[in-house]
Parts: sequence; C-alpha cells; structure tokens
Amino acid sequence: MASLIVQLARLGDLLQTLPAITSLTARYVGERFDLLCASTLTDIVSLFPGTARAVPWEADQWQQWALGWTNSPDSTMTAAQGHVHQLAAQTYDTVYNLNQHPRAILAAHLLGRRVVGPGSDGPLSENLPPWGAYLRKVARDRSANHVHLADAFCGLCGVMPPGRVPRITPHASDLPGSLEKVGDPRYHWVAVIIGAGDLARCLPPATWARWITALLNAHSAIRVVFIGSSGEIGRSRAIQETLSPLLWGRVWDATGHTNLLQLALLLSRCHWTIGSDTGSLHLAAAVGCRTLGLYFARARVHETGPYGDQHWVWQASTFAPDTWPIDESLDFIVAQTGAPQLTECTGWQLWEGHVDAWGMSYSRPGQSNISVDDRIDVWKRCMSTDDRENVLL
Amino acid sequence: MSVFEDNLRKIVKQSPELAAALRAAQGGRLEIRPTKSGHPTGFAQGRAIHSTYDPVKESTSWAAAQIMSCREGDVVLVFGIGLLYHVEALCKVLPPSIRLVVAVPDLVELHDACAVRAWGDWVRRVTWVWGVPHSMAKRMRELGSSVRLMTYVPAARLHSDAYAAIEESLRRSIAHAAGGQLRIAVVGPIYGGSLPVTRSVVAALESLGHHVDWIDHSVHATSYQALARLKDARHRQVMQNKFAEFLSQLTLVRIAERPPDLVLALAQAPMTLQVLEHVRKKHFLTAMWFVENYRHLTYWQQMAAGFDFWFVIQKGGCLDAFRYAGAKEIHYLPVAADLAVHKPVSLTSGEMEEFGADVSFVGAGYANRREILPQLITPEWRLKVWGNEWDGATAIEPVLQRGGRRIDTEICIKVFNATTVNLNLHSYTGKGLDPEADFVNPRTFELAACGAFQLVDHRSLLGELFTQEEMATFRTVEELQQRIRAALHEADIRRGMARAASDRVVREHTYRHRMKELLTQVGMAQPDRVGTILKGEREAAQLSRRCVDHPELVPLLKNFPVTQRVELEQVAERIRQRGPTATLSREELLVLMLDEYRVQTRDLI
Repeated sequence: MASLIVQLARLGDLLQTLPAITSLTARYVGERFDLLCASTLTDIVSLFPGTARAVPWEADQWQQWALGWTNSPDSTMTAAQGHVHQLAAQTYDTVYNLNQHPRAILAAHLLGRRVVGPGSDGPLSENLPPWGAYLRKVARDRSANHVHLADAFCGLCGVMPPGRVPRITPHASDLPGSLEKVGDPRYHWVAVIIGAGDLARCLPPATWARWITALLNAHSAIRVVFIGSSGEIGRSRAIQETLSPLLWGRVWDATGHTNLLQLALLLSRCHWTIGSDTGSLHLAAAVGCRTLGLYFARARVHETGPYGDQHWVWQASTFAPDTWPIDESLDFIVAQTGAPQLTECTGWQLWEGHVDAWGMSYSRPGQSNISVDDRIDVWKRCMSTDDRENVLL
Repeated sequence: MSVFEDNLRKIVKQSPELAAALRAAQGGRLEIRPTKSGHPTGFAQGRAIHSTYDPVKESTSWAAAQIMSCREGDVVLVFGIGLLYHVEALCKVLPPSIRLVVAVPDLVELHDACAVRAWGDWVRRVTWVWGVPHSMAKRMRELGSSVRLMTYVPAARLHSDAYAAIEESLRRSIAHAAGGQLRIAVVGPIYGGSLPVTRSVVAALESLGHHVDWIDHSVHATSYQALARLKDARHRQVMQNKFAEFLSQLTLVRIAERPPDLVLALAQAPMTLQVLEHVRKKHFLTAMWFVENYRHLTYWQQMAAGFDFWFVIQKGGCLDAFRYAGAKEIHYLPVAADLAVHKPVSLTSGEMEEFGADVSFVGAGYANRREILPQLITPEWRLKVWGNEWDGATAIEPVLQRGGRRIDTEICIKVFNATTVNLNLHSYTGKGLDPEADFVNPRTFELAACGAFQLVDHRSLLGELFTQEEMATFRTVEELQQRIRAALHEADIRRGMARAASDRVVREHTYRHRMKELLTQVGMAQPDRVGTILKGEREAAQLSRRCVDHPELVPLLKNFPVTQRVELEQVAERIRQRGPTATLSREELLVLMLDEYRVQTRDLI
C-alpha cells in the first residue's frame, strides 16, 4: 500500500507535519508514505523520518502552464498530464491532504483514489471534515484555541498526536566559509532569525541590534549567528551597521549563505535560536535546538509555537509591539538557569512548551497545564466515530 | 573537405537554394581574428562582433538571457549573423518545440561565417530566411504566428536597416490582422494635460473592439486639489504623496477586480513603483504612454524599470535615457488627434466675431510665450490670446481674452475654427523658442484635425509626421512675423495646407492609429500573450481546432459561441457549474488546477 501526504504550504507548515507523519507510520506499519511538497523544500523532506519520497510540486511550472493554456491548450494539457504521471506513475491508494486550498484538494484527487482531509467529499465539494472546519473557524474567528496546528494535522489524517517530539537529523555536510566554526564547544551559540516571510513578523533591525548587543554584553562566551535568506542580506547589513565594531568579531553572518540542509546543520550546532514565528524557527526546533519565539502580528503560541519541550515563546498582547522582552530573556538564555525569573513584561507574556498524549501545548511557567481539558474536548468533537473507537478507546 | 564545404553540406538538405547562393557568393565582410580562448572572432567596421576573449562563453550567457522570455510554440527569429556563436548557443538551450529561424540579409557575411569554423549538428535545426526584407517577413508569416524576435546587437547593427524593415513588415501584418478582443485597463491621471489624451485613448481602444476598463482618477481631482490648499508645504507634500499612494493602491484593487491582459497607464497616472512591482510579480503586462517632455517631468527615472513597455513622444537621447534608467522596452509613439473631439465646426456670425481673429494663440502663459507673443501685437493684424496662467504678463493684457480664465475644449475648437492663422508655440520655460525642439505637441494634431491653418515652431520630429506642404513652420520670431503676414494674404495656400494636414491626420495620426501601433508593439514582444489575442487565436473555434491531441477538451470548448474569446477561467467556470457532487475527469481536474494557478498569478490583494 502506498499513501501520499499533501502539504503544499511553506517550510513552517511542512515541519509541523512531522508529528502527523510519525503517527501515521506508527499506525500503518509497513505502509509506504510519500510527501508532496513545494519543490523548493524537497531537500529538507529527505531528512524526515518515515517518509519514503519527497514528491516535488512545481508551482512555477503550473503557473507557466496556466499562462500558456489558452494559447496552446493541447500542448499544455499534454505537458501537465505528463508531469502528473511523472509525479506518481501509479495512483496512490490514499492521499492525506493537510491543506484547505483548492490546489491541494485538486492535487490530492489527481494523485490518489481516496482522499482523507479537505476534499474528502469530492474536488468541488465545499464540505470540510470536522478538523478542517475547526481550523477554518479558528482562523476566521481568531477564537481561543489550545490545539496546536501540528496536532490538528494529525487529526486531519485520522490519527492521534505521537505523544513524543519527532526530530530530524541533519546530514553532515559542508558549511560555507567561516560557518564551519559554528558550534565550537568553547562558546555558547545563539542563532538569530533576522527576518520573516511575512513583513509584519519582522523585528526592526535596530531592535535586533539591541537584542544582540545585550546578549553579547551579557557573557563573553556568547556567539551570535545571523540566520536569513538571500533576500534579507540588506537587513543583516543594517543590523551589523548598528552594532558596535567591538562586537563584530563575535557575530557570524549566515544570511543568504546556506541552503536548507546546511541551515538545518547550522541550527543543530546552536544552543539557542531566537526569532519570530518562521520556518527557520521550526527547523531549529526540529533539529533539537532550544528556541525562544517572539510571537506577534498574527502569530499565536498555542497554534504554532515550536513543537516540543524546552521551547519558550514570548507572546505579545498587541499586533505591533513597541517594547521587546530583551533583558527578561537574558537570564535563561545566557545563564541557562532553566526557569526564567521574569515571565512577564509590558505587553508580553512568556509561555513554556510541553508535549503530552494530546499533543503540544504551552502553559505559563510554573503553572499547571490548564489547556488539557479544552484539547480533549476538541479531539472528541473532531474525531469521527470510527477514529474515536480506534484511537481514543 | 574544407570547413566551408562541410558546413554547406549540413544546410543543403534544408536550404538547397541558400547553399547554392552561398557557394556562388564571396566572403570578405568580416575580418577574422583569434581570441584568447582559441575560438576565432569577427570584426566589422572596426568593432568586434563576438567577444575577443571567449565568444562561446559570451554567447552562452546571451542565449540564457534570451530564452527566459520564450514560450512553447514560439518561432524565434534571430537578427544578427556574425560567426553564429549566438545561434549555436540558442540551439543548445531552446526546447525542441520552439522553432529557430535566422534572418540572412547579407550572404557575404554568412559566407564568412561558413568558412571560418566548423558547424556542428546544431545547424540542422536552423531554418534560414534570406533575401530582401519584405520576402523574409513574408516567409516568417508563413512559418508561424507567434514570432519572437531575438537580436544579437553586435552583429545586427551591420544590417540594422534590413532588420528594422523586417520588423516593421511583421508589425504591419499583425496590425493589419488585429481584431481580437483584449481586456485593457487604462489608468489615467488625476488631472492635467494627459487627462484628455486618456479619454481619447479609451475611446480609440473601444472603437478597435477591445474591452476597456478605464481606471479614472480624475474623479478624485477635487480632493487632491483640496490638499493643495494646506498652508504648510511639508504637510501639503506628505498628504499629497499619501493620497497618490492611496490612489495607486486603488488602481491595484481595480486591476484585481477585473484582471486585464494589459495595464496601460498614461503619464501622471498614480502608480507607485511598489505597486508596479506587485503587478509585475503577478504576471500582468504593463505599459506607460509618457505623453510628456521627458526633460521637464523626470519622475520616469524612478519608474523606468517598473513598466514592461514605455512609449514616449521623443527619440534619440530620450530613448537612451530611458534605457539607462532601466526601461526594458521603449518605443517612440507621438501623440495624435481625436477626430470625435477635434473637428471642423460651423459657427454663427456671432461666434465668428467672438472667437475669430486674424491671429490667435490658445495656451498657458509659459515664459517663452510671454516673451514672444507681445512681439506679435501690431496694427497689421488682430491678435487674440486665450488661456490661463498669464498673471503678471502686462504686455499681453490688451489681447488676453476672458481675463485669462481657463477655457474648455469646446471653446478651443471654436477658436481654432474661427481663426485665420492659429499659432502653435510649444511651451518652454526659458526665453525664445525651445532650443531642444524635438517632440510634437497634441495641439499640432488637434488644429490640423479641425481643418485649421496653423504656424508651428520648428520641431525635429515634425518632418516625419507632416510634409512642408501640410504644415507651415518657423524657426525665429522674425520668420514667424513674415509667415503670418504671408499667410494672411494667401488664402488659397492657407486653406490648401490646412486641408492637406487634416487629410494626413485622418489617414495616419488619430488615437486609433496610435493604439493600433502600441498594441502591435506589445503583441510583437509578447506574441504568445497579446499577439495571439490580437489575431483572434483565442476564439473558441480556433482553440477547438488546436485540441487535436485532447479531444476530450473539445466538448468543453463547444459550449462557447465560435467567435467568443475563451480563456481558462471560462472553461473552469463551466466545470465548476456542474456542482459540488460532480465526478470529474482527469482533464477536468487539470483544467481546474491550471485555473487555480491562473488565479494565483492574478491574486493581487
């Protein structure tokens, strides 16, 4: 039996798919699972445990065909059909679709006989399975929610969360230039994700400069690594120009210098990663690096906080904060005291990650996990009768 | 066997006549020299045609850049021969579905290329068109409808006239065949001189059968001008900029609501570079007709890279300046007349008295006009000056009409028709006549369209628009005075010239002509996107005929009237109308998937 998981969203959501893959492979032992994802992300999927093959989805190519269809419908159809055939020579028995977008639904129906998740009632049906409807409601209403997105993906696939944290192990590969030195055991390495795909989630360069200055001044063993895409080189320069030249020797700039596999390796060599809700932050969590998330704009800790224990998130109370919890974060990053002394500052609250049988949750440090009952209730409502019998009982 | 004979053997099967002609020809156009990489290069007129270091590497880069614009089904026509390194490089990277044609205006040059280096099997892929430009263009039309030009400039400049003639001939054939229905969003300014041009452009495009969505920002003029009354200059500028930014975003929303094939902006249209970049990323074609003097209004420097096409009213240095600023495609397109607006009118005797004069001038009080017009106040003739912005011009007060108030188009036309000699003095912010007198203003065409006689200051670009028998010009104030004097006494000559100018406008200089030309240029550069629509190749019947390999698509297309332009979205919509429980075929799923990506390319907001 061969099954396909469809996840056409960006890096962050792709990494949030790891728990669902873990649970599916545990439940259907011996079954083969491929993963359909954006062609730019297939390298990272090669590290995913339980995934036989990354099937590349060429969005740019589809766009080109879309533009050329009317000019040349027959050759476009021939090319598109050939492409789909190339993706999957034989139709998959089951396709687990994790996206609600019509593109993902159509891809699921093109590649599989049976669709689980959005599109399960047909490619043109607007019906959503209970988990799909739940996620849509949460997104639309911005309503209170304690079920993590990665666990909701498990629900969409009809499985429970794995109850443990799936990890990926980077290949030992060459890092470019001086980045090879990152991880030197004499130092305490902190990766800083300087940008974000969503501009609203970007910290101003001057704010990052203050963070980094505070970190570097807090302890002489601290070394900082800038993480960013090639499109963020200007941002990296802006931050560096604001730093005192005395600190430059303790900063490594990986912005635009790594591919995804190298980035995974680089992050695995760091002790901490700090950044807003981005794919890189989730990659850091997936390779076992402790993370400190700065969640503001549309990011919400309970939905997309880094998956696993030992992760911390500062959640802002406003969309665009004007103060930042810099000093409040230093004690547990620099001294690694474990429990932070300050868990609140103006406009921000600190949350600590936990994993249990119901998946991922965040609670206030030192307080009991009040979200368990909420999460159980959602699971009971969203699982189908069959799944409830199979999973919960 | 010599290199020459060996090469000829490779083309003789496909082009026996060309091979025979090459054998009969003699070389000598190119001077062959070695390069540092060991490959020979050619020189002509003292300039290298290929790199003097590594012609192969250079051609590879050139070809890589060229194929970015290629689409399946294109016929690529290469201008420039040289030693054919660039053609070889193209053969290596062009997909097999794209036909490659090389135009050969000069057998001597190709003879050189044939004798210098051995051609590989790549040359068997080349289709050669040769002879005079007209016959080459005719052959190209037979080879395919989606012709994409690729010019290897260092070699093409040797025969630039021939290549220009081929291009012109191809352009004319597209213009002649044009009849398809494009969806065009026309973005106009908030106010100013390009606003009436915008109106005429909209009317012209509609009269050509296209679907026009006029994004008319003139409705916001009152609000914009209210901001001009803010006292603090800094506040004024900030608020006007913010308002223009808002209108730019509004343009984006309008484009998103009715996605066009082409976004055509007129000078001063509120479109920021940021919005243009957004529009470009979504694969919309954008064009700007910059109907302004590029030396006076210089904001184009920041916008040059933002539009896919620029059309300007000046040549020479203007074209270079736009290219240096980052414009990708830049074409000369003079302004014109709108015959529905500017036309001969019959006037009552009262109107003749009110609006008529021996000599009239209509326009704003620019510095050069303030200096020149007072010199024309003389008892010899009756002068009237109409228009606004004459404050402080005391010398002109005796002849200034209506206290220097702004006059509307209707009155302008009455003045033109009632006047014996209309002065057309291009604006200039200095004294005297414009020392850089190149472009021709709209007034020239408007006066001619009204059948009115005019004296216009000499413009370097006027000669290719009107002959001396059609348009009377002057180069100095003294000459102007003499020509007024003569014109007032030579009624037959005056009327004859006015009639000839009017006929020329009707024949060649209306906004319909300009829009046809503009769309043809866009169609030439985008043969797959705009060119095919202009040729009607997106109509249901034509599409059905092309679906030979996918007969299952034919029933989908049969649902549409045969002459209706059918796009992916319409086919997808028909599929969706089958309802949520429909079971879809693989082809139908693919159509929906393609439509999703079409939507993605258009998802602007």
